[in-house]
Amino acid sequence: MRLSALIATIAAIIPLIALIYFVIVRAIPWLDAELFVNNPLDKPSGISNAIFGSLQLTTAAILAVSPIGVLAAIYLNEYASPRVASWSELVIDVMLGVPSIVVGMFAFMVVVPQLGVSAGSGVVAIGILMLPIVVRTTQEVLRLVPSSVREASLALGVPVWKTVIFVVCRTAFSGILTAVILAYSRGLGETAPLLLTVRGTFAQNWLDFGTTMNALPLTIYSYSGAADSRTLGQAWAAALLLMVLALALNIVVRARTVNSRVA
Amino acid sequence: MAFNITRSRSLLSPDRTFRAITLMAAVTTATILAIIFVVLALGSIPALTASSFVDFIGTNAGPIFGTVATALIAIAVAGPIGILAAVYLVEFAPKRLAVVLTFIVELIAAIPSVVFGLWAVNDLSIRLRDSVEWWIASTFGKFIPFLSEDSNNPAADSVFRAGFLVGIMIIPLVVALSREIIRAVPISLREGYIGMGATRWETIRHVVLPTARIGITGALMLALGRALGETIAVTMVIGGSNDVPGSLFQPGSTIATRIATTLPEANPDVKSVLIALGVILFFVSLGLSLAMRLAARQTAKITASVK
Amino acid sequence: MPSDESIKTSTGVTTSRRTEPVSAEKAADDAYPTSSKYALELNNVEAFYGTFRAVAGVSLKIAPKSVTAFIGPSGCGKSTLLRVLNRMHETLPGTSVKGQTLLDGVDLYGPKVDPVRARRLVGMVFQKPNPFPTMSIFENVISGLRLGGVRSKSELESVAETSLRKAAIWDEVKDKLHQPGTSLSGGQQQRLCIARTIAVKPEIVLMDEPCSALDPLATLKVEELVRELAVDYTIVIVTHNMQQASRVSDTTAFFSMDEQRAGYLVEMDATSKIFTNPKESLTEGYIAGRFG
Repeated sequence: MRLSALIATIAAIIPLIALIYFVIVRAIPWLDAELFVNNPLDKPSGISNAIFGSLQLTTAAILAVSPIGVLAAIYLNEYASPRVASWSELVIDVMLGVPSIVVGMFAFMVVVPQLGVSAGSGVVAIGILMLPIVVRTTQEVLRLVPSSVREASLALGVPVWKTVIFVVCRTAFSGILTAVILAYSRGLGETAPLLLTVRGTFAQNWLDFGTTMNALPLTIYSYSGAADSRTLGQAWAAALLLMVLALALNIVVRARTVNSRVA
Repeated sequence: MAFNITRSRSLLSPDRTFRAITLMAAVTTATILAIIFVVLALGSIPALTASSFVDFIGTNAGPIFGTVATALIAIAVAGPIGILAAVYLVEFAPKRLAVVLTFIVELIAAIPSVVFGLWAVNDLSIRLRDSVEWWIASTFGKFIPFLSEDSNNPAADSVFRAGFLVGIMIIPLVVALSREIIRAVPISLREGYIGMGATRWETIRHVVLPTARIGITGALMLALGRALGETIAVTMVIGGSNDVPGSLFQPGSTIATRIATTLPEANPDVKSVLIALGVILFFVSLGLSLAMRLAARQTAKITASVK
Repeated sequence: MPSDESIKTSTGVTTSRRTEPVSAEKAADDAYPTSSKYALELNNVEAFYGTFRAVAGVSLKIAPKSVTAFIGPSGCGKSTLLRVLNRMHETLPGTSVKGQTLLDGVDLYGPKVDPVRARRLVGMVFQKPNPFPTMSIFENVISGLRLGGVRSKSELESVAETSLRKAAIWDEVKDKLHQPGTSLSGGQQQRLCIARTIAVKPEIVLMDEPCSALDPLATLKVEELVRELAVDYTIVIVTHNMQQASRVSDTTAFFSMDEQRAGYLVEMDATSKIFTNPKESLTEGYIAGRFG
């Protein structure tokens, strides 16, 4: 029976290896300088607008969301009554289980009529998806900070707010960073909400959140069935970039958490 | 008196200010979640009142069928593999190996679903068609039309392949959740049973898995919720047909894929139907997620009562 | 800017006080005679967790620059009472305090009192050593000052050295001040925590079973340190260890529990008296049972 369990574990891992192998093999022939510099309509074509679009969308969303998320987690963990904290935890956990397409649909119904089909709407959609991740992960990390640390600080005559910021958050800093990075990595790969809010474009867009933007997931999606080999190749190249980014961020995060366990 | 312990006189204490700021952030978060809930709940009203609920299900049987079918296939794939892998990681694997394997499995979860979709369209889907799908069709297809396939001319996309792909994608979730639950089974329980002369595997079958049953069921529910809502990868391999397919090996659609592909250009009537479908998806996944959390609390109580 | 002003405290005594950064407070100490001959004076103090009364009607007086030991069976409220003395009790949800606690004659629970400032004057060392995990040894020592607003690097450095010397740990850590505080042994961590507490220049140092997590050798070092610190500070120490109480304290207060599980003070006297010839038979029984 031990064998069957081992086989299941191997079966769980095979897809990862197959996927990584495929993406790398198919993407490498198309990794040239033009890919990073040119836009889809340039000759030769590239995916510069998607690369920088993804970074702009996700970065804007994380900048908007992480302060709110971290502060909300601080409130729930440091100030709220245990009952409120426990209920909000349940609500946020449940929200984490809501499919991103539903959040995308919400943005389509509420945000797009205001901001139009634009990068701004996409930022809102991605931000909403990131928010519960930031709150919950930060809350978990803050809870790991032992109460003896808070007591030590209070007993030194340090006010509560300084205790929270300079002692509790400092102790949990790498964990909070983890929360933010995880949310960023999750936001980078979101596709369905972008289809409903940003849609994509062939043009390069620098920081104009009022018009559409392109993103790596949108490029992968729309190029995925292309007959033209260069176009399909660029889908693979975009997938490689996205995958490398997502995996790298996750590996960084995990390495950090292993190294800096709160005492 | 050599000291001063009186309050400073300023009304605006940094303590209060900071607390108020964090409270505002918490309220903002709560408000956003509440708005989502209210908007979606209200959004379903037009479609659900226009016709009776039964009619609504009838006219949207295609995507509803596709959603359920892909999710169930996904659970059938990910459930056994995920739970067994979790058992291996907790009970059998040497510690270092367990750390490495867990790490690798968790990395799968970090790969964006659109990348899975690209891989499936260009490789996995074709392999599945020529192996698992072909085998099932040639073995059972003669008796069960629902599992039949024209082997000379198989469809380019199929509900089955979409479900299988989602299964692969949710394996890490099943592993991670089951692992936590199996690990939470107290050592004292296992030791008691091993002390009676049971083997490792007997202990797992008769002590560990039964104790963890509620929790693992909850984990599968959460995974089911994730599978129901998986959108982009499914869109890329399911084919997009709006009808209930005659066979699992033919193209179909799911609620999520319908929303992703048709919502932006939909006319008002279709739009309200799609939104109503989305709201169903929202409440179903909400319910599953809630069930999982409650199951997890239940398991925590059981294990706590033993400790 | 230091400034002198007169205020009416809640006890009705008009006193002169100084407002200036904590770090400079001690320097002016001798120039201002204290208004009370007791460092602490408790009148009918009660402490609650919700509706549960953990401490019932305690009245006692503690002389400045002395060591007072709180002894008694587990759950008799001695740690709770200790936490009342620097307003740490109220940091737990649902707690409350009644009665009068005078710190150098000033009501510690008066309406105008800032608990944060009060805690700077009444420092606390905890049962388990609790250095800040992400801070170095140096940062740990000066954490109270730095978070209290002291910026001057030279001042911080000199206070760090003085405090570490006073806590009898300077020689062990002077070459690794920038290593994490948690890298030290348990006994060293506890002395680091003591250094951190005295770095903010308190009047009183409360110690809540400071040796219960330490091995015998580390315990001995901390006990020696307690005696040395009594030259400069008023010390109140909660302990389960009778020998420790007899070794380190000048005065001993024995607590017990009544039928409602509320802790109360049985008697308080010179340590030599409590351990050889206590007034109360309850004290005698406890000491006979726990001693030797």
